[in-house]
Amino acid sequence: MQETDERYSEKVLSLALDLGKSMVRSGAEMNRVEDTVIRIGYAYGMKKTEVFSIISVIYATVIDSEGKTQSQLRRISSMSVNFEKLEKLNDLSRRICKNKPDPDEARRELESICVPGKKFNIIVCLGYMLGSASFTVFFGGTLLDAVASMPIAAMIYLMQSFIKTQGTSRLFFTALESAAAGLAALLFVHFGFGNNADMIMIGDIMLLIPGLMLINSLREMLCGDMMSGLLRMLESVLVAMAIAVGFALPILFWDYIV
Amino acid sequence: MELKQALIIIITGMLGTVGFSALFRCDKRRVICNALGGALTCLVYVLCCRFLDNLFWQNFFPALFATAYAEAMARAMKAPATPILACSIISLVPGGKLYYTTYYLVTSQEELFHTTLKETLLVAAGLAVGIICISVIVHEINRHKFKQIFDVE
Repeated sequence: MQETDERYSEKVLSLALDLGKSMVRSGAEMNRVEDTVIRIGYAYGMKKTEVFSIISVIYATVIDSEGKTQSQLRRISSMSVNFEKLEKLNDLSRRICKNKPDPDEARRELESICVPGKKFNIIVCLGYMLGSASFTVFFGGTLLDAVASMPIAAMIYLMQSFIKTQGTSRLFFTALESAAAGLAALLFVHFGFGNNADMIMIGDIMLLIPGLMLINSLREMLCGDMMSGLLRMLESVLVAMAIAVGFALPILFWDYIV
Repeated sequence: MELKQALIIIITGMLGTVGFSALFRCDKRRVICNALGGALTCLVYVLCCRFLDNLFWQNFFPALFATAYAEAMARAMKAPATPILACSIISLVPGGKLYYTTYYLVTSQEELFHTTLKETLLVAAGLAVGIICISVIVHEINRHKFKQIFDVE
């Protein structure tokens, strides 16, 4: 009986942490994740649930009804924003707290949500193109500029979904993407496809700017999660600087190239 | 600002929001809600640009509106607020200013670099303070509710 109990709290803990990890990966704030882990712990009758998380780690300890302690850790190495998945995960955690299904059953549901999607998603690619084209016009570009920004947006999407590996530094990769986009915009305008290189670049900058990260960091700091908030804020400022460096390179060297 | 320019901003802002809804892989049912949020935020922005001449307030009020809209819609549709906020506020993000800051830096136009850098930071601050103002209120209300739940337990 004791052994099954131990297995039970282990299962609950690993379920809660895997759910939390998936939530962080699809773009949730840390305090929401901590909240979820604690609620699941309580829902399954743990006496105490303690959780600590910063942007790349979730660490939790549960004490079950017999006073036995279990700890586990999850490392989060990469992120890909997916709000549809996040909503499903939210629903799942709400259902777990309400109906308290068997941990194995809940895990099966979690796994059915977390099936890796296709590498190339045409709708997301169109979203990149529509976003960049709209913002090119938004900031004062012409229609031709909007059309010119579309292939660049598609290129950014392809780079993000195919070249990016777990090992690549995010800052370096962002700078690389920005440099490629800047160079492409200057080349397009040079060959007459587009009127204003700056507007095309701005349209594509909007795709790379870490807006969601900034929003999340503000929310985390507000909820008292200073550590995650500050780290994320710093990361988003650094990413913005990487974008600036990336776009600066082609502008700087354009005179030498042509 | 002319009417035509204002209309262009609102329409492209809305289309941009739809684009970003796909980019963030939002639920298909939320796209209309996001697009409406994006269009209304741009409308508020255009109005603020017309009547206010301070860059901070020009971005503060639209951010305030977008956050309130996202929180209200989240309650109504029983969905998290962050996705709606992230999509509807996207057109306020100072991408253009970031570009010009970089551009003036690398073309060594000191004066212009300083002013645009200051403007970029001012816009970002306006957005941040706008988001915070509403979020604080919502956070306090939520905490109050949780307290009651835990008291019962």
